[in-house]
This record gives sequence, C-alpha cells and structure tokens, in this order.
Amino acid sequence: MATRSVSWVIPLDRVAAQSEPSVGGKAARLARMARAGFRVPPGFCLPATAYERFVKAAGLAAVVRLELGRKPLEAMRWEEMWDAALRIRSAFLAAPIPSALAKAVTGVVEAMGPGVPLAVRSSAPGEDSASGAFAGIHESVVGVIGGPGVLDAVKVVWASLWSDAALLYRRELGLDPSRSRMAVLVQAMVTEDRSGVAFGRDPRAPARDHAIVEAVPGLCADLVDGRVDPDRWILERSSGAVVEWRRGVRGASDPEEPLLAASDLTALHQALGKVEVLFGWPPDVEWTGRAPRLTLLQSRPITTVASPDPGDKRAWYLTLRPGPRRLRDLKDRVAGELIPALEAEGERFATEDLARLDDTALAGTIETRAAALERWRQVYEEAFIPFAHGVRHLGQYYNDAVRPRDAYEFVGLLQGQPMLASERNRALADLAALVQRHPALRRVLAGPGDSSETLRSARTADGGEEFVRAFEAFAARFLDVSYRGQRLRDRADTVLATTLELADAGSRRSTGMSKDQAASASAALEDRLLHAVGDSRRDEALEVIEIGRLSWRLRDDDNLLLGRIESQLLSALQLGADRLRAQGRLAGEAVGEGASGVLIEALRNPERRLTLSKLPVAAIPRAPLAEGEVPRQLIGQPAAPGMATGRVRRIRTVDDLGRFRAGEVLVCDAIQPTMTHLVPLASAVVERRGGMLIHGAIIARELGIPCVNGVADAADILGDDDLVTVDGHLGIVTVGQPEFELERIGPRGRGARPDGEPGEFTRLS
Amino acid sequence: MTDQRGRGPDFDTEAASPGVADPALPERIRHLVRNEPYAILSTQGDGQPYASIVAFAMTDDFRTAVFATPMATRKYRLLTACERVALLVDNRCKYPDDMMRIEAVTATGRAMQVERGEEFDRWARVLVARHPYLGAFVASPSVALFRVEIVRFFHVERFQEVREWRPGA
Repeated sequence: MATRSVSWVIPLDRVAAQSEPSVGGKAARLARMARAGFRVPPGFCLPATAYERFVKAAGLAAVVRLELGRKPLEAMRWEEMWDAALRIRSAFLAAPIPSALAKAVTGVVEAMGPGVPLAVRSSAPGEDSASGAFAGIHESVVGVIGGPGVLDAVKVVWASLWSDAALLYRRELGLDPSRSRMAVLVQAMVTEDRSGVAFGRDPRAPARDHAIVEAVPGLCADLVDGRVDPDRWILERSSGAVVEWRRGVRGASDPEEPLLAASDLTALHQALGKVEVLFGWPPDVEWTGRAPRLTLLQSRPITTVASPDPGDKRAWYLTLRPGPRRLRDLKDRVAGELIPALEAEGERFATEDLARLDDTALAGTIETRAAALERWRQVYEEAFIPFAHGVRHLGQYYNDAVRPRDAYEFVGLLQGQPMLASERNRALADLAALVQRHPALRRVLAGPGDSSETLRSARTADGGEEFVRAFEAFAARFLDVSYRGQRLRDRADTVLATTLELADAGSRRSTGMSKDQAASASAALEDRLLHAVGDSRRDEALEVIEIGRLSWRLRDDDNLLLGRIESQLLSALQLGADRLRAQGRLAGEAVGEGASGVLIEALRNPERRLTLSKLPVAAIPRAPLAEGEVPRQLIGQPAAPGMATGRVRRIRTVDDLGRFRAGEVLVCDAIQPTMTHLVPLASAVVERRGGMLIHGAIIARELGIPCVNGVADAADILGDDDLVTVDGHLGIVTVGQPEFELERIGPRGRGARPDGEPGEFTRLS
Repeated sequence: MTDQRGRGPDFDTEAASPGVADPALPERIRHLVRNEPYAILSTQGDGQPYASIVAFAMTDDFRTAVFATPMATRKYRLLTACERVALLVDNRCKYPDDMMRIEAVTATGRAMQVERGEEFDRWARVLVARHPYLGAFVASPSVALFRVEIVRFFHVERFQEVREWRPGA
C-alpha cells in the first residue's frame, strides 16, 4: 500500500535525477537544485501517471477529443478555443479523483502541517520551451489550504493542459489528445519581504557581460503578473558589480532606497553562477527572501526575446483575459468614462448641422470624425474587448463555485439586461403593432415608391401621423449605423420592409422570455452562486456578477455606439462628395472611409478634381465543394438552444436586409449591429463566426431563437431557399429533408440536391 | 466598414497558425474506400432489414462496387428479392477510442447480379485484384457476383458532419 501511494505522490527531495519525463522540467530542476544545496520550498509532485489515471478513470479523453474534434483547430477562433477550454475545464472539475490518488495527496498535505498555504503549479513534461516564451499557458493556484482544496487545485492545473492559451500554442507545445500529460508540483508558499526574478544574462542582449535582477516587496507572483513595478539592477555578469539601478514605481509613502542591499545582490549573483554551473545554461530564476534566506522558486533556461511576428496575434489574445483587479479598473473606465463619452460624441456628431458649413469647415469636420473613429477603434481594442472578458471571468467563477452540469448555465445570470439592441427590437415591435392596428396604413406602407415618399403619404392614413413620428424617432436613435459602406438611415426602405414583416407575423413571433421571467431565472442563479461561495466571499461574488453583467451589456452597446461614429463619418463624407459632384469636381461613386483623405483635400482646394474608383470588393472565397457534393449536416457550436426548420436567407448586402421574411433562417458571416433587428423575425440563426458569447448568440438567446454558430463557410455552403433544420441544442444544421427513395434517382437522373419541394420525398416525422 | 475587420475579439486564428486544408470530399472517400477492404451490406425483405459484412472492390470512377456471396445465404435471397441496398465503409477499427476521428461513408444504390460469362470474368477480376485470397471462392459455381450501381455517397466525420456526393455528377 505504501509503495503504491508513493507512485502517485513523490516528495520533492525524492525526485530522481532522470525523472523529468514523469514529473516535468520544473519539478525535476527544483529537486536537483535542492540536492545541490539551494534553499527551495518543500513540496511534492504528482507525476504524469496521476494525470493519466484520473483522465482514464473519468473518461475525460473523450471529452477533450469531442471538444477539439468539432472542427479543425486551424479553423477555430480564439473565442471558440476559449469555449472549448471552458467545457473541458468544467468536465475536469466535475470528475472525481480516484480514491487511492486522493488519499495519497491528502496524506502528504496533512503531513506538511495544518493551515500551511500551498502553491499548486503545472510541471508539464516539455512545457518550458513554450510556456517560457508565452506566459499564462497553464494555470497555477496559490494560497491553497488543506487536502480537498489541493485536490481541486490539482484538477484546475490538469485541465489547463487544454487551456485556450495551450490550444493557441498547440504546435509549439506538441499538444496531442492521445499523448499529452501534465505533472503537478505542490509546494509550501514562502512568505518573505522581497521577491523577484534574476537572469544569468540579459535576455534582450545576451552577448553583453550583464546579469539582471528584479525585485518587488512581497510575493513574486505580483511581479510576474505585472501588478507591481520592480526595482531593476544590471550587474556585471563576471564580477557581480552593479552597473545600473533603476527604482521601480512605488507609492509616495514607500521608501526611496533600493529594495535590495549589496549583500542580497551578491547572494543572487552567486546563485545565478552556481545554477548555471549545475545545469550548463544561464538561468532565468524566480526567487524570494533576502540573503541568507534566499530561496529559489524555479529556474529555467532564458528564452531570448525574439522580435514578435507581426502576423501572430496570439500574444494579444492572451492579453484579452484580464484578471479581477484589471477588470475592476476597466469597469470604472469603460462604464464610467468611455461609454458615456462615446455616446456623447456620437450624439454631438448627429446633431451637428453640416449643411450650414462651408467646404473648408466641412473638410475640418470630416477630419475630426475620421480622427474620432480612429481613436474609438483603438479604445475598442484596448479597453472594450478586454472588458468583454468580464463575462468569461464570471463564467469561470460561477463554474468553479457551483460546478454546474452545463458549463454555460451562468449565461442565465445575464438574461434580461437592458441592452440597446433589445431596446431597438422592442421599439421596432411597437412600430409593427401600430401597423397591425391600422390596415389602411399597412396598405400605404406596402405600396411602391421610395421610403421618404412612402412615409410622406403614410401621414394621411389613419394612425399614420403617429407612425411616421415614431419611425423618425426610431431612425434617429437606432438606424445611425452603417453596413458595407451604406448608412441604414439612407436605407429606411429595408427597415420599413422588416416592420411590415413583423406586423404580418404579429403575435406568432416569439419574443423569448418575458422580462420578469428572465429576472427571476437570473435571481435564482445568483442565489445559487452566493450560496456556493458562502458569506465570506459574498461581496467578491457580487462584484464578479456585476462586472459580468455590465460587460455583457456593454459588449453589445459599444458596437452600436461605435457604429454611430462610423455612420456619422460616412454622412459627412457623403455630403462632401455631393457638393464636389455638384461643382463638377467629382466623378465616380465610391465614397467610403478610404476616401476621407482625398475628399478633405478637394474640399479645401477648389482647384482639385477627383475621380473615385470603386474599390475592389474582396472576393469571398468559395467553400471547397466538389462536383456533385451537397452538404447534409454541418456542425457548429450550440450557441442558443432550440430547434427550428426554415428556408435559408443569406444576409450579405444592405438589400438582403429588406428581403428577410418572417420564419426564414438567418444565415450570415456574423450578426452585425445593423441586422440584430431581423433576429426577432428569424426562425433560427446560423453564423460562420463562432463563440458562445458573441453578438448573434447573445441576441438569439435573449429572444429564445435557436442559434448555431462557428459553421465554417456557412454563407457559402448554404444557398438561399435551402430548407434547413437548425438544432441549437447540439450545434447541428441539417440541410434538406431526409429522403428514402434513394436508388430511384439514377446517377444521371434528376437533381439530387436535397432542396426540392418539401413533400416530394417521404418525410421523417 | 468595420464589419470586414471583425468585431470584438472575433478574430480568426487561421492567420496565426496556418493549417493544412482537408482534401476535397471525393479524395476523402477514395482514401477511405481504398484503405478499408470490407463493407457492411444492408439488404431488406418484407420490411426486415438485414446487415452482412462483405469483401468488396470499387471501380476508379466510384460508380460501381462489386462483391460476391454464396447463393445459399440469406443475403443472396434478399438481394434477388430487392435490389435496393446500402454499403457502409468505415475506419472505426483504427480509432477505437477516438470517435471524432472515425470516418464512415454510406453508399446507396442498386445491386445487380452479374451473369456468368465475359462480364462476370471482368468483375471477378476487379474483386480478386483487391482480395487475391477470394479467387477460388469467386470461381465456385455456388457463388453469385453482384455489382452495385452507386447513386450517392454519404460521408460522415467528426461525429456529426455529413456531406453527400454523387459520383459523376
């Protein structure tokens, strides 16, 4: 029995020299340093075999394969990887650890003493080569107390073998569901007044005779996370003499003098030398404690800072997962300053009277708006997108505490939030109700002619005055957005068509849960979470919920508000173009963002003549369908539950918006702010862009309409009027009717494309 | 405007990690059918479905599959009663613990018995070239040779992804 448990848990001081494939590089090197006489925190490892045992007993390999096999990883977006990683993590957390293994771990934890805070870290075999270069690939859990806590933390670390970051760097990591394994290192946390990192050579200039030391007060984790700005020394590598000291940014009340004394620096310099002799490479060391209590937390080879490949966005994705502290800062900035400022700026632009500006002033306005758009797009990437992670943070927090069967149960906490898109849909529904009550008005609105004419004649119809007033208010508030270079305000005809469709569909349309239902469902989940975390973490949980809800709401609102700035720039550009055209100085049609520069110039210089050639529209690559190939079942993500059958309507141009009919299946690349008002008409939504928490999924879920997204080439593979069944529970889109008269259709017989009239074939149900 | 740039953290990762595109569907089917020597044959009679395993071969144009069966069998009886059949070819033996990597193709069509003579010899050669150990079996007078005129293939992968292909369409 005793020998059996030893194989699950190996005390650090008994880790053999050649055990790296089993315990991972981090643990093997720490053991070696301990043997060489360095102080290292006491602890133990769970070798990779423990991971294998757990995964096998719980059947988790199948879960990993199912998540990663849904579509080729190359075709997965970062958001989809995050979703897959969340589901894998949930499955790991829900799985029991085999009792022999659990007993072995709790035994060792108890032997380390009661109440000792522990750090549970990954030590994946072969991990350092990649994770050294890209931080945050695998998880660590610090401050864990007691056996059950450690077992939970171990599961979190195991699951992080399949984290979103690991999936992004799967090639570098050699990630493979049938071979990859994870060892875990559990160590006592050492609390000292100084911690830091040290490099045997300068990673940025390895050829120079320099070593680097960085120090912060308190925990090393604060430095590694970038929470505290460190003091930094450059030492002469050969002698240890200080070449340079730079004081870290500290609070006003903090001391002026260096955080480390000369003796501390000497001890660190010596340690760097000894570690280098031990391993044969200049190390990158994490340390804590001042001489003579200097403790080494880990060491690994220095990864030289390669100039990042500009096409490689992965490092940026990893910054999109801010921790609780940064989320709180972002919340104040985004909700308190940025969104109100964005809204105010859009409002200001919209109320500017451009007509009274002379050409030079109009040029200035275009310049201002183009600059504002540029600025807001930057804010979007730097603040709005990272803040959107608040909802993911809530998801993980909820799942860790509640352990629900459905990894997306937390989405219920977000339902019923007052979002601009829902407000717009409600306003449109009100307009539709007005039309429904007045058949004469409906007849006028359905008549031919352009929309301004139609609206003019509608005024005289019964209920028309009220309708036109409401419609104009609606347009000013909600249609100031553009799609493919056209402002929706200029295409009010498409929105009138949608209004009529809504009126005709009337009460048959589902509007999802009522506000009250959504609120009570959300409150029930909130109680569940608060109960799970207990009183001590109540405030923390409430804040996580608040940030999650806010980020969910703003995630949607910011798109509409940014869309308004775009639309306002476009409106100024159009006016400028109209004037130049009237002066006979402009030929050509294409007036888009790209023309800002030349239009400004021409408005300022009366001599200037312009020809705007149409920009080549980027060809949408065709899906690789072979001759005679027909899709039957497409797979995506189950983004909103429900099941519906309908005819496909693809949205690819502004005109498509007005063509959308009630009961059709909305197929598009991704639901844009300019098309959310079509969703209430749709029987289902299919998108190419995937993710459980993206715009289209949010709207569909709010309305109770099935949505499958992440369907590769959806808008190319599916054709208008194809009959499809969308299964939002499983994430499957089935094309055509099931037919059974297969062999009667000879190889050269009639078309076998399953989009024939329904009823032509025997139907399944 | 921005709709082409991708909104939110909605950026595709293809650029970051270029992948190898899957070969076209006919190529996938060809690969599967070439690598798997056996198929499950579905027959029917009086509303009763029946499944049997057969050694098969397929022509290069994918329009015809050929297999042989002793005449005293149930499947022979059923085949002579109803020509509508399906053939299932899959690679599940290769991936017993990885459902997501299993590929299967169902071919539907009409099975027709080939009369002894020149045509029989030609089809027998196709079958025996693929399964040399069946030479004596096919030559036996108690064995019937069937060719299946294939109408369509239904290819399944990743558990639920289904595509249909008509050879020679």
